[in-house]
Amino acid sequence: MAIAHRNQLRRRHWLWSGLLSATAILILMAAGSPIQQAGQLPLLLGLAAVALLGELLLIRYPLRHGYTDRGIWVSVSTPIVAAVILLYGWAMGVWLDAGVTFGAGLLTARLKQSRLRWVWLNTAQSVLCAAAAGICPIAFQYLLDGFSEAPAGVFANTLFASPAVAVLALFTILVVYSMINNLLVSVTVALAEGVRFGWVLRESLLDLPRETLPMFPLSLLLMAMLHLYGLTGSLTVLAPYLALRQAFILSTRQHELYHQTIRSLGFLIQRAHPYTGGHLQRVAQWGRRVAERLGLPPERCELIYEAALLHDLGKTVLDERILNKPGRLTPREWEQVQRHPQLGAEILTDVPFLNAIVPWITYHHERPDGKGYPHGLRGDQIPLEARIIAVVDAFDAMIGGEAPSQQRQYRRSLTIPEALNELRRGAGTQFDPQVVQVFEQVVQEWLPYQEGTRR
Amino acid sequence: MENLWLGLAVVLASIGALGYYAFIFLPAQLHRWHCQTLRAFAKVIELRTQGRYGDTETMAQLARAVSARLGLDAQERKRLELSVYLRDISMVSLPYALLNKTTPLSPMEQLTLMRHAEISAAMVEQIPGLSAVAPLVRLHHVSYAQQPDAPLSAHLLSALSDLMEQAQREGYEAALRVLQAGAGTRYHPAVVPAIEAELQARPLESWVPLRRSAALWFGLILYPLKDLSRLLIEFARH
Repeated sequence: MAIAHRNQLRRRHWLWSGLLSATAILILMAAGSPIQQAGQLPLLLGLAAVALLGELLLIRYPLRHGYTDRGIWVSVSTPIVAAVILLYGWAMGVWLDAGVTFGAGLLTARLKQSRLRWVWLNTAQSVLCAAAAGICPIAFQYLLDGFSEAPAGVFANTLFASPAVAVLALFTILVVYSMINNLLVSVTVALAEGVRFGWVLRESLLDLPRETLPMFPLSLLLMAMLHLYGLTGSLTVLAPYLALRQAFILSTRQHELYHQTIRSLGFLIQRAHPYTGGHLQRVAQWGRRVAERLGLPPERCELIYEAALLHDLGKTVLDERILNKPGRLTPREWEQVQRHPQLGAEILTDVPFLNAIVPWITYHHERPDGKGYPHGLRGDQIPLEARIIAVVDAFDAMIGGEAPSQQRQYRRSLTIPEALNELRRGAGTQFDPQVVQVFEQVVQEWLPYQEGTRR
Repeated sequence: MENLWLGLAVVLASIGALGYYAFIFLPAQLHRWHCQTLRAFAKVIELRTQGRYGDTETMAQLARAVSARLGLDAQERKRLELSVYLRDISMVSLPYALLNKTTPLSPMEQLTLMRHAEISAAMVEQIPGLSAVAPLVRLHHVSYAQQPDAPLSAHLLSALSDLMEQAQREGYEAALRVLQAGAGTRYHPAVVPAIEAELQARPLESWVPLRRSAALWFGLILYPLKDLSRLLIEFARH
């Protein structure tokens, strides 16, 4: 990263922090001192202790399509804050959230190696989130009985006359809290890392349901217990909370398992076939771009990335003397090589989360005119994803990205315009015309970057 | 009053259900997933070596059953099962010609093959979530005469690896006879009778690898229950 760029980023980051802090301080001033909250200080402190415990047992929850591979920290004190906002008004919720986030941040700063200014930034963010979520019950109240100057807490009593409304209000609070939180965190991450804001936001929004939904029953239980039995009642929430935490941890581990598997299988392929460095990565990235251009849903694009990385997995099984052979292959050897799509599929059939990509790998050497292998499918019988991988893989092989040049002496590698011509010529027979058309645009975009980097 | 008891029962039951889900069901499911994933790696080796297709799954089932018979703890049993899938992972880096050689191996080639346990362990160590399995993988051809103090699970793994290898060539009866002959010298004396008893209770020919089926899903629910009942029995015993 250029130094000028880094300085610019830093300036923007400070500006953003200042803005957040100023807003947060204004909100806290508007909320008033927590000590004045009519006789509810013991309750506030008790809840803060419970929430602090929750915050200390914080869980790192992974991003679904981890291109940053950092994950989101899901705070499980959020359900507590949501219940407090609904029962005792937004001011108390804001103070609770601020206190807990700040306290937990200070206590875990050493552990997470975070700076003090990050702790402060987190606190400011949580204040903003809690305040935004605090608007929800007021809006509900306005919708129910028109605007009135009711003190905090009275609202809850009228609300519990109709439990359905209370549940709905709680849900809205959680959703708004998470959305604002995602928005603010996305801005912060985008500024700190210099990545595009839209990408970060999209990824965190995709995770929103998975974050919010598990919190909802917990929050509901807490609210009911608080309402019926007070502070002691809220302690019963700890048991399901621990269970939830365990579930989160295991789902995190499953996610890590998934990435480790793909990475390790990728290493296996690199060993089996002497690719020039970057063939698989290029194919994977182009494949994802083409899929995005064709308007496939994001998680499908992500799967195409993985599938393109693994499409030659079957070659790990084959005799490396055939794969590395410099000259032309004999018919028998060619027969062996043609087994690799099916072998790759066979290897992956039992992997639970890669079920979807098995057919794409099986058919990535099929051709629309039915002359491909292994089954000779035609046109639309071939999955779109397999057609994408076929085009991208063929293109990179043509420009000599697949194997070191001394190994393919009988076949001169083409220049990029020549290879594009070749793709156009094969459109309809060897390649899918629509995919070729989209892929040309992707290559045009990539060209300027390519000039400087390749030999 | 009745309402209070009912409420208490509902709360306790739901907490119990959640606890069961998070602490018993989910870990078991994660372990299943882990094994199914590692099956991909085992399959690469099976497909690469002629005449080995499907034997890893059989061996995993056998290891699961025998380790329960030997009374290994749950953690060790899980590790053993994972190491069954990973033990030969380094064979991807051995030449195809060497793996599929039908004529006797030269001393040089034998030495190359003998290093595979060491290299597999080194590969497994690189995977963060699996580094605990690496010691077992390293010892998967351990001999009782040379290292009698190696963990019991390693001895079991070693005996099972040899059993599967022999069984491919000469059938299970002959393989079992080789095992019995080596009990106390090559193999741990406690391990061989346990394998024998397991094979007598269920002849190996009936151990068809389970495909994805209703039985598997059913097993996914029952499998943790089995652990729970064993836990209760052990608890009652003390």
